[in-house]
Amino acid sequence: MATRIFARCVRTVRQYSVNLNKTNVAIISSSVPRTLSYLTYGQKSLLPQISGSTSYIWQRRQYGDLPPLTLDNIRDRVLYVLKLYDKISPEKLQVTSHFMKDLGLDSLDQVEIVMAMEDEFGFEIPDAEAEKLMTPQDIVQYIADKKDVYE
Amino acid sequence: MASCGRSQVISLYRMLMKESRKFPSYNYRTYALRRIQDGFRANLHVDNPKTLDMLLSQARESLALIKRQVSVGQMYSTQKTIIEGNDQRGF
Repeated sequence: MATRIFARCVRTVRQYSVNLNKTNVAIISSSVPRTLSYLTYGQKSLLPQISGSTSYIWQRRQYGDLPPLTLDNIRDRVLYVLKLYDKISPEKLQVTSHFMKDLGLDSLDQVEIVMAMEDEFGFEIPDAEAEKLMTPQDIVQYIADKKDVYE
Repeated sequence: MASCGRSQVISLYRMLMKESRKFPSYNYRTYALRRIQDGFRANLHVDNPKTLDMLLSQARESLALIKRQVSVGQMYSTQKTIIEGNDQRGF
């Protein structure tokens, strides 16, 4: 009696797992007609079957690395971000132009620019430092210092 | 903007913007960012210390509210809208 109930439980669990893993349907259904003693070990013995059925696993490592930062590289990226900012006209933008005096931005714009730079280069710039960054050249210099980039 | 509260205002602006970016929902995120920018721009030349204090406390309340709503929103996040794509910045 007890074994019959147990067998029924195992069967329902199996059916449930058939519904869940549609990819493994063939493997599981082939093991269903076997004996109860085998079914109790089912979960363990399924693993080699699956790995055996997938004939070839192609392993590959992908190293995520950006091109090395150089001063030119940083300057290009900074200018690119600034050109995309809608309050700066790309024609007026120079490396040495002051955000407030030359480009007519206010302190809130400057905060937004610094935040865009944080996004672009992926690190935080503290408030005290952010206040001092007033030209693209300042930003390039600051980022180069932080990332240990020298001539 | 009074010069004494200037750095305070700017840091508050930064915090508000940073916090609002974390909204998982596109609509809330863009609204919050736009509202913060417009709100600060509208009161750019407030000199009266009383008004300034009032505005600052209002902004602090909004910051607390945004923080709360961001964490609530992260619990119940839904599918991204189609215009979002891979861009996480929200602007």
